[in-house]
Amino acid sequence: MSFDQIIVNEEWEETDLSLLETLDHVLNRGLVIAGEITISVADIDLIFVGLNVLVSSIETAHEVLRKRQTE
Amino acid sequence: MKLYVYCLLQGIDALDEALPGISGAPVRLEKLEDLGVLVSDVNTDAIPVTRENAMDHAAVVRSVLSRTTPLPFRFGTLVTEQQLRNYISARKAALETNLSLVRGCVEMSVKIISEVAHENSEEPGQAEQGIGTRFLTVKRREILGSELRSAQAKEITAWLNKTVNGLTRDEKVTVQPSEKLFLAAAHLVERAKLNQYREKMAKARETRPELHFLFSGPWPPYSFANIDLEFPTQFGVT
Repeated sequence: MSFDQIIVNEEWEETDLSLLETLDHVLNRGLVIAGEITISVADIDLIFVGLNVLVSSIETAHEVLRKRQTE
Repeated sequence: MKLYVYCLLQGIDALDEALPGISGAPVRLEKLEDLGVLVSDVNTDAIPVTRENAMDHAAVVRSVLSRTTPLPFRFGTLVTEQQLRNYISARKAALETNLSLVRGCVEMSVKIISEVAHENSEEPGQAEQGIGTRFLTVKRREILGSELRSAQAKEITAWLNKTVNGLTRDEKVTVQPSEKLFLAAAHLVERAKLNQYREKMAKARETRPELHFLFSGPWPPYSFANIDLEFPTQFGVT
């Protein structure tokens, strides 16, 4: 993954941003086949939220997990 | 056995090289009607959200970007072969329309970060005010701040739109005036105009030193892949 330009707060490393941008794209966007997305959220080390691009994905993942646990 | 699906494409009859996919599973090109789908055969009922898996998914979709513009599937899409056939057969027209829209293009991402002003410091004389007056003063400040952010959001959105005018085929813009991540835009840019787009954005950024920008790309068109009749829930769970 290469970035054209990155200008953000100093605490963000380029590798973090590369991962963050990739996650934002692959988790939040793309074609969905009705009812056929099955994920596991066991590995929560992905949450290094600062920019809020990931929050919706992770919150939704938690919601899914909670629903599954109550079923 | 299920199929993990990465992306849908046209114009490729065979893969250039053997690709490793999710968890190292080989990637193959499945031809359905006149569309191609990159898939891996997997023996699992769920794909863990790990950074490796997310990167694997992204790498497979990206691997064909130099040859064609695919429509990426969202991470975690597992289907049987029959389900995939049914999906493509039922949505073929919409999928072809979407493939036409993105053909010859890539997605460029722009995120604009702006500090949210927190005016918590007390005004001179505020300490002597009664509780009610102080409450109203704070409320007034919040409302004015919110109005200011909304006006700023409108101005920045219009500025960005004007900046890329004529260089994009389509765009998706999300504006959140109250958030630090103020604006997120995905631009669908024709490959032939990519350098022009980059130059324009680089120059435009210099004119707005008060804003932080995060530009990334080129991406496969993740933000332009959705079609009508798709499942409304993010992870497809009822």
